[in-house]
Amino acid sequence: MSKLTASSFNLRDRFGDWWDVATPVQKGAFRVAIIGLFYALPLINNPIIDTPETSFDSVLFYPLIMFSLMAVGLNVVVGKSGILDLGYVAFFAIGAYTHALMSIHTALNLWEIIPFAMGFAMLAGVILGLPALRLRGDYLAIITLGFGEIVRIIAINTDAIGGAMGITDIPGPTSIFGIEFTVMDPRPFYWLTLTLLLLVIWGVIRLSHRKPGRAWEAIREDEDVAEFMGVSTLKYKLWAFIIGGAVGGLAGSIYASQIRSIQPELFTLNLSIMILACVVFGGMGNIWGVILGAVLLGYIPEKLRFLSDYRIIFFGLLMVVMMNIRPNGLLPRKKREHFQEKSK
Amino acid sequence: MTKKLLEVKDIVVKFGGVTALNNVNLHVNEGEIAALIGPNGAGKTTVFNIVTGYYTPTSGDVLVDGESVVGLRPYKIARKGLGRTFQNIRLFGDMTAAENVATAADSLNKSGLIGSLLGVPRSRRDEKEAMEKAHELLKFIGLDHRAHQMAKNLPYGDQRRLEIARALALNPKVLLLDEPAAGFNPQEKVELGELIRKIRDRGYAVLLIEHDMSLVMKISDRISVLDFGQKIAEGKPEEIQNSQRVIDAYLGVAEDAS
Amino acid sequence: MDFSILITNFWSLALDGIVVGAIYALVSLGYTLVYGVLRLINFAHSEIFMIGTMVVYFVVGLFGFTGYEDPLPLYKFIGMFLLFAVAAAVVSGLAAVVLEIVAYRRLRNMGASRLSSLISAIGASFFLVEVFRKISDSKNLDFPRLINKDPFFTWGTLYLSADKVLVIVGATIIFIILNAIIHHTKLGLGIRAVSQDERTSILMGVNVNRIISYTFLLGGVLAGVGSAFYMVFYETTKANVGFLVGISAFTAAVLGGIGNVKGALYGSFALGLFQQYTSAVLGYNWRDVVTFAVLVLVLLIKPTGLFGEALQKARV
Repeated sequence: MSKLTASSFNLRDRFGDWWDVATPVQKGAFRVAIIGLFYALPLINNPIIDTPETSFDSVLFYPLIMFSLMAVGLNVVVGKSGILDLGYVAFFAIGAYTHALMSIHTALNLWEIIPFAMGFAMLAGVILGLPALRLRGDYLAIITLGFGEIVRIIAINTDAIGGAMGITDIPGPTSIFGIEFTVMDPRPFYWLTLTLLLLVIWGVIRLSHRKPGRAWEAIREDEDVAEFMGVSTLKYKLWAFIIGGAVGGLAGSIYASQIRSIQPELFTLNLSIMILACVVFGGMGNIWGVILGAVLLGYIPEKLRFLSDYRIIFFGLLMVVMMNIRPNGLLPRKKREHFQEKSK
Repeated sequence: MTKKLLEVKDIVVKFGGVTALNNVNLHVNEGEIAALIGPNGAGKTTVFNIVTGYYTPTSGDVLVDGESVVGLRPYKIARKGLGRTFQNIRLFGDMTAAENVATAADSLNKSGLIGSLLGVPRSRRDEKEAMEKAHELLKFIGLDHRAHQMAKNLPYGDQRRLEIARALALNPKVLLLDEPAAGFNPQEKVELGELIRKIRDRGYAVLLIEHDMSLVMKISDRISVLDFGQKIAEGKPEEIQNSQRVIDAYLGVAEDAS
Repeated sequence: MDFSILITNFWSLALDGIVVGAIYALVSLGYTLVYGVLRLINFAHSEIFMIGTMVVYFVVGLFGFTGYEDPLPLYKFIGMFLLFAVAAAVVSGLAAVVLEIVAYRRLRNMGASRLSSLISAIGASFFLVEVFRKISDSKNLDFPRLINKDPFFTWGTLYLSADKVLVIVGATIIFIILNAIIHHTKLGLGIRAVSQDERTSILMGVNVNRIISYTFLLGGVLAGVGSAFYMVFYETTKANVGFLVGISAFTAAVLGGIGNVKGALYGSFALGLFQQYTSAVLGYNWRDVVTFAVLVLVLLIKPTGLFGEALQKARV
């Protein structure tokens, strides 16, 4: 009986069966259709998917696609490598402040600043990671949580970067490929972030299927044994941190260029936890699950307004419930196995 | 003279006030199957944890192929040529059998993360070689038909063998086996014995911790006996079988009572 | 930066450090006790403390104080204090037990990974903070002054006031009781047994689930009592009060060697004093940064803490 329910609910395997036998043309068509659908979302807005209070276009940019980007970044750390990072918001904040300060104080535009934003976030990843990653899981969680809060407290207490008032009048991106970025229209920002997200996904999938992906998984499964098998665990954990940080910094810089004014209060622990909830809800370690989680958790509270006031309550509860009943999330990272007859 | 691939010299290990190993000397020669036996709690697994760098000895030295490895991190020692298995199986459960082996094989190449991301030729080559090596080792160990199954879903015996394949992927100078026959039936034990010999014939020296005496006696070239953290005997299987000291240790005869 | 304040206010800072340290100690004991039996940091413990402060606020509110009354006479105050301290202890203690059942027990019995337990506890922590944020409308909940805080004894810059004496004396009594529980009761024996070696304890017939429940209860009760002292001393609370007190109390537990009960006490007083002196020089808004720096340094340099019981690696 339990077997029946298990198989009837296993959409993932159904899809996997189809995917295994699909021709390259079918696979390509499927990919194009899904990606096309995402690009078309702002254009096919209709009352069914529209959000009641915030405009659908801005919901698409934040939280939906921003959450997705950050969740994919955090997933490298939490899902792939099993390192619980509770201070992910710090990387996002570093990216946002980098853009805010550099775009005001230098002649550089967003496109030129992005490498700096990612670079500083990566640097922060190294500075935090080198000492912290030597520690065991729960200590690491506390250290990263503290780090996230400390970055915010430092921002509040440092007048040179605006203190608690933050930074206003941040320049937006200059036009690129003929696309204008204006305060009024969030759609170009959505398309921009979606494009970058696709690039990041491409990179992460590539890494996942190769040596780094195996090293991360081995660390997640059993860190001591990974070390016994010759994996430099510190190095790969640090890489996970750096990559996660870079993606967070990237997201932050674009975010700052869209909302045009930032304050430390935008970067609270709550945001770290919301992104973590997306990862946990969707399926730790599975990039598609994580995006599904981010899309759902970004969208649902906007659609159902009564939920949005209770967003964090709901997210907190969700984390407890998911861990207890479906610890691997909506779309578990389970790989599909291929059985072969014994060749004798 | 035969080459000593692994040498444990005057190792002392103390945890708090407890002495786990007291002046232990061991070695493994090229091309031999050495065994380490002793009653439960004698310190056998501690020896493995010392030589693989998980614990640092209080004093003494460990040499791999003549080079001291004390103080190195475990992954470096592994790359210098020590592969190990575990008493309680510790596979990467959510990875396939081939990936388990490839993870260890990976650590011997120098491809970096950026190379993997960009897909540079060297990374592609290393990637291909690691996978080929994984499949070759799985075939050697008789698990090629399981290559794409998750390690956690394999039958018990296959899991034990997969651990051996994974350790072999490090091209170890010495393969450390921690109770590989635990939980095996007599038939499986015979097959395991053959496998270990096959591994030796392939050119790997083996250091074996095992409780099954018939297996140990049958395949070992040399046996060392630990009791209460001290080496109490060493020699060929026949010598060990006839040693009163060893028999007493196993029967639990207190030293002062003899 | 003005270092002369350290000299001029040396004794008054020391007194405040001890008072704050005593409050931290009551909270950090919960971390250390639970760590002892579960080998896991209870992330939601800070919220157990927060719930205590809310209970105190609520109970006092029932009496209709407006905050403009004259302070209560001492005997009335002590009666009042016992009432809300007991209420906070009971509610916090029960909340901790419920927390354990909801967020930890099932996962533990399933043999889930540490990561799952951590995430579950963090979810519970956020859930609780946000529920109380909604209830309190994100406001600071100010507590009426129930006790005359004018110093009754002055020695140089040292001002001794009734609230500080209450915290120090009260906490000392609690520590003595706790010591008796741990060393002279069956429950204490069970906690020590499970802390030493869970597997053997099971074999010896110890009901581990029950011991873990009692440990959470004990930790929760201590945090509840701590929250009563906290409210008397600081006279305000809010939904995220747990975070700030929690990180200090946790740091204190690590400083003293987590899992070590005496260590938690020493660590708390050491941290309380250190915070007072550094805050006097740097300003109070840097207090949490300093605390965090202490935590990081201890974990990096001596993760077993100053008086540490070894944090052993998992056995291979």
